[in-house]
Amino acid sequence: YHYYTCELRFLLLIPAPLVGCIRTVKTTTWFDEHLTEDNQKFMKKSIAQEYDKQTAENLNPLKDEPWERHEWTEGSRRVGLVAIKLGMAPIWTKTGERHVVTMLQVQDCHVVKCLSKEEYDGNTAALLVGGKNVSPFHEKFFFNRIYDTFLLQSCFICLSGTPLYAAHFRPGQFVDVTAKGVMKRGMGFKGQPATHGQTKPNAGRSIRTQDPGKVSKGKMMPGNWVWRVNTKYNVLYVNGSVPGHRNCVLKIRDTVLPTRSSTILNPPFPTYFTNLEEDIEEDLYDESLFVHTDPSITLT
Amino acid sequence: MAVCAKSVEKCVFSMRLSRTLKLQNERFLSTSLCRLAAGPPKFVPPSKPVIIDKTQTVASLRKFLSPEFIPPRQRTDPFKFFLERKDMVRRRKAFDIPEFYAGSILAVTMADPNANVKTNRFVGICIQRGGKGLGATFVLRNIINNQGVEICYELYSPRLQKIEVLRLQKRLDDNLMYLRDALPEYSTVDPEMKPEPCCPTGEVPVNQLKVKMRPKPWSKRWERPKFNIQGIRFDLCLTPEAMEHAQKWAEPWREYDMLKEYDTSELEKKIFTEVQEEMNK
Repeated sequence: YHYYTCELRFLLLIPAPLVGCIRTVKTTTWFDEHLTEDNQKFMKKSIAQEYDKQTAENLNPLKDEPWERHEWTEGSRRVGLVAIKLGMAPIWTKTGERHVVTMLQVQDCHVVKCLSKEEYDGNTAALLVGGKNVSPFHEKFFFNRIYDTFLLQSCFICLSGTPLYAAHFRPGQFVDVTAKGVMKRGMGFKGQPATHGQTKPNAGRSIRTQDPGKVSKGKMMPGNWVWRVNTKYNVLYVNGSVPGHRNCVLKIRDTVLPTRSSTILNPPFPTYFTNLEEDIEEDLYDESLFVHTDPSITLT
Repeated sequence: MAVCAKSVEKCVFSMRLSRTLKLQNERFLSTSLCRLAAGPPKFVPPSKPVIIDKTQTVASLRKFLSPEFIPPRQRTDPFKFFLERKDMVRRRKAFDIPEFYAGSILAVTMADPNANVKTNRFVGICIQRGGKGLGATFVLRNIINNQGVEICYELYSPRLQKIEVLRLQKRLDDNLMYLRDALPEYSTVDPEMKPEPCCPTGEVPVNQLKVKMRPKPWSKRWERPKFNIQGIRFDLCLTPEAMEHAQKWAEPWREYDMLKEYDTSELEKKIFTEVQEEMNK
């Protein structure tokens, strides 16, 4: 699983699955070493309940004071989200056009750790964001979150334990959605067949080569339009397909494309806080989107 | 003349009076007499005739859950279908989607940007219902100017203006795609057809019609057991040998495949109550 970073892996001394090795060094303690079967069952059950409760109440053991609100300035970098891909569904615009959206759910997204410039690499600050509860009893996971890192310009706004919601992004802006993979996916870049004499099956596809010397018009580029945000269930409706399978963990950020960053207008900065901000509606729609409670559209 | 007429009137009046007196003697308790006694008769408008519009389709009282509410058997999070259902119920509150089945005759009015009057009405027989969730579709088929026409409508599209059920019925099969290979008379529907009355309770009538097919080749080999088609008269178009030969592709072990079992009855009940609650809110 690529979501834990390499440093963490070494710190926690996770025995990598060694195939064909003579001996395996176990330096960690297993949770069930000194427990009877009944106690193991009880532990699993009670901790699952505890996690569900925490998720429902948006409680976090790392909970800290909420961040200070700041004004959005052009060129600032915000934290992203770690979300789960639910699946795809159709939507319609007010002119009757049909589009397909991918539904991305922000389940239990929290800032887990904040690293200042000096701590990270001397150039940028970084935030570790957890996206999903994982059973602590699973053999492979020694911590209860799936992580992702987001690089920020400065760390003065970061406090760990802050929950992140889907209202962090607003309809009408572009986001970049990425998932694990050996090549950048999502626009038909599917590489070549794995067998039949291929040596570089993961090479992907280029946007253009030297011969035409330009990018053809209508070339699909990264960035997905946000159509709708459900703030009650924390679901983002993002245009088109995104990489990854159903129930896959994805990383969502504000778009980094300079041509599309102008769509980001006055977003909640550094993030959206439930208790500080005024009540927002359950569903935030893009202006051109048809809302299902409206009567049928008539064309003139 | 006028004087004469008056005198005649008087005469008639006196005669009437005498008759009434006679009647009074005969029957004391008479409603008509009471009225006469009260004064000149008032105009009583006749009671309005109650016109029962039998063409109006009555809201169904049957327990019916549209098939697109039942999620397919897959690993998608059920929460996704829950969210879609919420949107579907919202749309159903704003727009009436009636109960219908494959085999029913429908008339659909749709906003069409390419039409002259910006709306388009199409009457046809529903040959297929497909899709789950918000992407549910149905296909209408009709024959217009000797040309078969099929239109696939999205059930939750905001461009749909009206869905009328002209004849509510089921056929022997759930999918009538074989009408493409049947004689054209079986998929021809009069575009000016009036809605037929149907009782809102009880079972939906099943049309036991079996169609005659055109000679082979067909778009699919409908005699194969995987289609399991009841509504074709195979005895007219295929020899018994050919029918027996088609059984070669029968897969009788499939029904015992426990991995493919998908019992939706429990799920259906749960979703039905959930949808009813939402609709009555």
